[in-house]
Parts: sequence; structure tokens; C-alpha cells
Amino acid sequence: MATSLQRAGLRLTHLSRSALISTKYSSQADALVESRTGEIGVVAGIPEEHLRRRVVIYSPARVATQQGAGKVGKWKINFLSTQKWENPLMGWTSTGDPYANVGESALTFNSEEDAKAFAERHGWQYEVKKRHTPLLKPKAYADNFKWKGPPMQES
Amino acid sequence: MGLSSLTSRAMIRRILHTTTTTRSHNFSLIRSIVSTPELNNTASAAAEPTPDPPAPPPRPPVNNARVHFPNPEDAIEVFVDGYAVKIPKGFTVLQACEVAGVDIPRFCYHSRLSIAGNCRMCLVEVEKSPKPVASCAMPALPGMKIKTDTPIAKKAREGVMEFLLMNHPLDCPICDQGGECDLQDQSMAFGSDRGRFTETKRAVVDKNLGPLVKTVMTRCIQCTRCVRFASEVAGTEDLGMLGRGSGEEIGTYVEKLMTSELSGNVIDICPVGALTSKPFAFKARNWELKPTESIDVTDAVGSNIRIDSRGPEVMRIIPRLNEDVNEEWISDKTRFCYDGLKRQRLNDPMIRGSDGRFKAVSWRDALDVIAEVMHKVKPEEIVGVAGKLSDAESMMALKDFMNKMGSNNVWCEGNGGQPQADLRSGYLLNTGIADLENADVFLLIGTQPRVEATMVNARIRKAVRANHAKVGYIGPAAEFNYDHEHLGTGPQTLQELAKGSHSFFSALKNAKKPAIVVGAGLFEREDKDAILSIVETIAKSANVIRPDWNGLNVLLLNAAQAAALDLGLVPESDKSIESAKFLYLMGADDINLDKVPSDAFVVYQGHHGDQSVYRANVILPASAFSEKEGTYANTEGRTQQTLPAVPTVGDARDDWKIIRALSETAGISLPYDSLIDIRERMRTVAPNLLSMEEREPATYSTLIKPEVKKEIDPAPFKAAIENFYMTDAITRASKIMAQCSSQLLKK
Ligand code: SF4
Ligand code: FES
Repeated sequence: MATSLQRAGLRLTHLSRSALISTKYSSQADALVESRTGEIGVVAGIPEEHLRRRVVIYSPARVATQQGAGKVGKWKINFLSTQKWENPLMGWTSTGDPYANVGESALTFNSEEDAKAFAERHGWQYEVKKRHTPLLKPKAYADNFKWKGPPMQES
Repeated sequence: MGLSSLTSRAMIRRILHTTTTTRSHNFSLIRSIVSTPELNNTASAAAEPTPDPPAPPPRPPVNNARVHFPNPEDAIEVFVDGYAVKIPKGFTVLQACEVAGVDIPRFCYHSRLSIAGNCRMCLVEVEKSPKPVASCAMPALPGMKIKTDTPIAKKAREGVMEFLLMNHPLDCPICDQGGECDLQDQSMAFGSDRGRFTETKRAVVDKNLGPLVKTVMTRCIQCTRCVRFASEVAGTEDLGMLGRGSGEEIGTYVEKLMTSELSGNVIDICPVGALTSKPFAFKARNWELKPTESIDVTDAVGSNIRIDSRGPEVMRIIPRLNEDVNEEWISDKTRFCYDGLKRQRLNDPMIRGSDGRFKAVSWRDALDVIAEVMHKVKPEEIVGVAGKLSDAESMMALKDFMNKMGSNNVWCEGNGGQPQADLRSGYLLNTGIADLENADVFLLIGTQPRVEATMVNARIRKAVRANHAKVGYIGPAAEFNYDHEHLGTGPQTLQELAKGSHSFFSALKNAKKPAIVVGAGLFEREDKDAILSIVETIAKSANVIRPDWNGLNVLLLNAAQAAALDLGLVPESDKSIESAKFLYLMGADDINLDKVPSDAFVVYQGHHGDQSVYRANVILPASAFSEKEGTYANTEGRTQQTLPAVPTVGDARDDWKIIRALSETAGISLPYDSLIDIRERMRTVAPNLLSMEEREPATYSTLIKPEVKKEIDPAPFKAAIENFYMTDAITRASKIMAQCSSQLLKK
């Protein structure tokens, strides 16, 4: 499926991204200065109110409309951002939240731990949603021809 | 699927080919329709050695699926692309590939439907098999060597794809499925850039399936998923396949609307754009939508949903997998109620003037007026009612606020006058929604799960189909989509069952896993304690509650009910409404306000201008479930949370914030000002409401309850829900739901 082509590419970018992050921060642990929770935001000059946010870490479910699993298994951060309004003149959507479009489209993590670590570094209070997985049960083509008892009555 | 490696391998081969052999040099001018030239060289494909010590697959199972081993000894080992996987006996080849982390392309196979094996997209190569095999229909056998990305498999799938695309219109730019279409995606991998079909494409007349499902039947690829869904899950044998060959069509034979409360799910399972959502048609493209994973509140099941929004607007609602609650389906009410979120919304605080008209005021003025009135009435005359869509946080705030005002008359609508909230097992679906599947005898008392909790009904239907479960029903004549026995209409039948003289009693007694389901509609009856105690007698004598199986269930109706009872929203006196001087309605629209004294001051806090607004003196606008974070407990006691997807309308605020603000204006500030604090407060009252996504089963069994001595009223049971499509403020405001009830229910 097309997703698999994508997946190979994505995996590469993720690898490089996570490699980047890990080298940066793990080397920091041995370095003279240790980064503390939330400090990264202060250093980066992120406004005060965005340093203490509540976020939800979750793993998006497979879209019910499609069967492909290429995008399943990633972790995302939902910033609970709903400060949006429609411009009364043009009908465009505006937002007052710099993170409004970050969670959905820009941040993807390979594991829950990565996402948590990211949130911790930024000093966000997070909540992790349980991931739901399907349960595979044996099924057979032959079941179509099994005797299923007397036929249903007309109801 | 390793396609990238496959294509690159093919490309290298092609270069080699064209340079080495002189004959194929001529061919290279005509690009072949199949992109696997290795096939000319079959020896190379066959001579791929499998690594000797079988390594475990490098990938996790597709969708991170869990594998259910019914019998651990029955595990077999197969090899998928050279990697060994352990699977239970009875799995198909496709499932084995999934366990190995290989996603097999498919159209007709759906994990929750029976196997049809008619699209042939899932072809794989199996060693020693002369032809590619359809993996979805082929049982996996021990030691089978399955190869999923060989040139033969690829060529076979390309052939299938070419046939499918032959008659599939080039509609993608104007198709609502575009962007989330299985055919579109898979044709990127297996489709050709040209076709060899030169005749005209066939056209099929669109069918009218009602107000929810839009059909463009020319796009249909005859996978029959919708047919299987309708007959297996929905239980309405409406859809079928007509004709043969290129005259084959999906339809209802005679024009007929699809009258199922699950019909919206065919939109999801259709792999192409043949069945799409009618209300959503041409409203948005799916890649513009922002998904928010949330919970449904239109019934007590708490189906897991995904709210798709664009800007400040909810565009659609689709289901989300949760094996324990709704599997992958949702009811039509859940799916299509969203347009009610945009209609009849309250967006400003309003006070009714002396002329009887509402005037918009500021929040401060509105709260001041309410606080002033509240301090003038006696504490026992203050009454608070939570609505059926309220979340646990705001009910907690309402209860604390009322208690601080000195009143203990606070309850949640739907729970009846004197609800029994002491034992959790007395109001929960103790068996659990998923476990209902295993029951073999059902006794439904005063409940029609089909309209009250569609997803629970789907489970009962599953049990009837799979285990031939017997269903006995006591209540008014109702429609069921499975075989059932109508035992009677009222409490007499219950008494007969309790005496053991009824023929159904022996079925219940001899059942391995019997389930009694009592409808929450009975909570509104005067004699409900007596009825519940007689049900307990039946449960006791039929041995329904066992150490490993609790079969005595209550099926609730509304999303707020379970949490309200967990938090102890129980009124002190059941006549409080008649003597109320100050009535605080937090989204309560279905309580009878006729008995409220005319001089009572009524505050309505809610999101829709629905029934109670007519009597209100002050209106406070609140946010709906799609706009707030709220905790809900479903009918089996599972705690789940909604997340905000869109901004609130106008000047509306979250329910608990309004009450918190009002408490401050009234001079008795509640001790919490964030969601975290209020949840800490909830922990002291009902700790189970904080264990998210978990089902906390009730610990006490109902069997230790004291005997009730009360007369049973012989009046027959009434239907709890009259109109499936319109049960609360949101669905009553929805235009789509109105269409459904007029066209499908003829109401
Ligand atoms: S309408 Fe859709 S689901 Fe039904 S057979 Fe056609 S393609 Fe399959
Ligand atoms: S998915 Fe196997 S034949 Fe259709």
C-alpha cells in the first residue's frame, strides 16, 4: 500500500529526528549543565502562559473509513486548544494559540515515552490516554457454511 | 510491506534486463502494464532461500493487535516472509500475516464481518501452492511458508487492481471518500498508469437508502461488505447483490430505505466512495479536518468517537476502536447528531424581563440576580437537577454548591424519585458490555436495547447469532432484530418467573451464563423498589450471580446517570419539586416542570434552547460535550473522558465554571478552581471516576440488600424511549435527526 512507501520515508525522518533529540539531550546529561523540567521553554523564550499547559498524550486510532495500518502506532500530543474564531468578514478561522496547529500536524512520536519526555522537557502537565488495540480471534471461511440452527423467525 | 524495496529491486532488474538481452530491447519501447519483469525470469523468484533459524518478525503486529489464544496448546507456527510467527489454530493466512506485522491489501475482508473472499486483492504466495492464494479465506496450516512480497503476489494483485479499475469511475476529485479511500491508496501501489480496457465503463443507478447514506453505485467494487454488515451486525436483511457479471449491483431489490439504527456504519466499511455520508456530502475534504478523540454522550454506552472539526465547526463524527465498548461501530444517533450542535444554541446569559421576554445581560448581572434570589428562599426550597448530558465534574460542583446553600435536593434526571445509589451493582451493567457476548440466555425486563443502547443491542445480537442465545423479553410490543420470545408486558410475568412457574424460568436456570437486563426506564415507576426486589428473587433462584459471572444488569439510558449515582446525587425528598421556590436546572430538559409552583424562580443552565427554557427566569449558556473536557461513566461503570474539539459558542462557559462563579457571587466559594482540583474533590467521593478508561466493577452483590415490602403496581411496562432519533437537547435540535424520525420512523 502507498503508506508503506511513505512509512519507509517517515521512519527515516523519525530516526533522524529522534537521534537528534537523543544525542542533544543525553549528551547534555553528562555535560556540565543539566536541563531541568520546563527549562527548555524558558531558554527558548516561550511566553509564560505556554510553559504551563495541560496536554493529552494519545495514540491516534485507525481511521474507521480505511483499513490500512500505516499511520497507526504513533503518539501525538493534543494541546486542548480551542481558542478559535471565525473572522466575521471573510469567514476565515483565526486562533490565538500558537500551539493550535502543532499537536495534530507537527508532532509525532514513536513511543509513549518519547512523547512524555518531550512534554516533561517543556514543563507541560500531561495525561496519557490508553491506547486501544484490536483483538484477533480465529475465524474461517468455512463458518459461512456452518449449520447455524433453525432459521430465524420473521419478526 | 516492503514495497519500496520491491520496486527498486524491479527497477534494477529491468535495467539489467534491457541491457543484457537483445530481444527484450524491442519490448522496452512498449512499457508493459505489469511492473514485475522478473516474472520473465521465474527461476530468480523461486530460488529465494529462507533464512535457516526462523527469526521472530521484526515488526509488531498490524495495528498492534493482541492475539487471542483460545487454547494455548493449539498454537501453530507459520513463516511469513521467512520470519516465524506463533498463531492460534484456526487463523487465516491474512491474520497470520497481520501478526507478523505485514499488512495485506484487501477490499472484501473486514475483521468484524464474515469472510467473503471475493475481491482477490489479498493474494499471497504460499510455498508449494501452484497458484497464489486468497489469504483472507485460506486457513493457516502449521509450517506454511507465506510470501507476501514476491513478484507473483504483486503481479496477481496488479491484475486484480486492473480489473477493479476497469469499471471504477475516475471520480476521485469529486468523491467524498477521496483521501481516505482504500482503492485510491492501494492503486498507488498496485495500479497501472493506463488501462487496457477500451469499452465504455458501466453505469449503475444510484439507490435511495434514506436520509443518512448517500449512494453513488457506479463506484461500487462489489466487495459485499455492506451486505454482510447489514445482515450480520445490523440485523436488517435490506441490502443484497443483484445480477451477475458486469450487471452486478448492490441494492435493496425493491426501493426501500435502510431502516437500521446502525446504518451509518456502512459508510465507514465501504472501501470506496459508493456509500458515503449524505449530511457530510461535499461539506469538507477529510484532510482538512482536525480529529479529536472523544466520547459520545447521546446514550449510556459511551461509544468511543472521533470528532472531526474544521475551524470552529464540528464536521462529522466517526467511530474509534474500543473492543470493550463499541468495537468499531456507532449508532446513527451518535454519528449524525452533530448538526444539532450548531442549532438553537444559547450564547448569552439572559434574564426574563417583566414582559416575559428574554434580555441578554452580562455574566455578572445574571449571576448577581441569581445569588440574590437564592439567599431569599429557604434552603429546603432550593432544588438542583442535573441533565442527562452532564459530566461528572459539573455534577460534583452542583452538588457541593447546593449542599453549601443548605439544600440536599439535588439529583440527575432519569434516575427517578428515590434512586438507589448505595450499592453500585444496583445500577450498573455488571456483566460488562463485552462479556454480554458470551451469555446464552437473556431476560430483558422493560428494556428495548435496540433503541436504548444500540451498541449493547449489537452485542446481544452477536450472542444470539454466535451462541444461539435465547432472549426473553418483558415489556410493550417492540421491534427486535433477533429472535426473541415475548413473555409478557408487565410485572405479572415477573411474578410468575419468580415463582418458577413460567416456562422461561427453566431456560434461565439451566443456562451456563444467564443475563438479566433491567431497563432504567423502570426507575421512573412508583413501584420500582418492589420490581427490582422481585428481579433479585429471580436472579437468586435462577443462580444468575455466581463467583465468576454476575448476570444481573441494569441498562441505563443517559450518559450522566451512572456518574450521578456514583457521586450520590440523590434527593432528600421526592416531593421537592412541588415545594421548590428556586430551581436550578443544569441542562435538565426532560423533567416535568408542570408541578413547579408558578412563583418559583427557575435558572436554566445549558447549551440548547430546549424544553426547559420556556419556564426559565434566567438562562446561563454552557458548553456542549464537543467543547469541554468532562468525565462520564457509562452503563457498565467505565470512566471515560470527552476532550474539547471546537470552541464554545458565544459567551458560553463550562458547566462547572459557571457554578464555581455563582458560588463566589453567592459568597460561599467552592474550594476548587481548576479541573484538576475538582477531580481531586471527586476522588474523595467516588474514586472510580478517576481511573480513566477503566471499568471498575461493582464489588458488592445486590444479594445483600434488605427486603422491600411494597406493593407491585400491575400496570404494564412502558417504552422508555419513544423516538430513537430524538432523546436529548442536542438530537432534538438536529435537522438530520428530524429527517430520520420523519422518514424512518414516520413520526
Ligand atoms: S457499496 Fe461499498 S461496501 Fe457495498 S459492495 Fe459496493 S464497494 Fe462494497
Ligand atoms: S480480501 Fe481476500 S478476497 Fe477480498
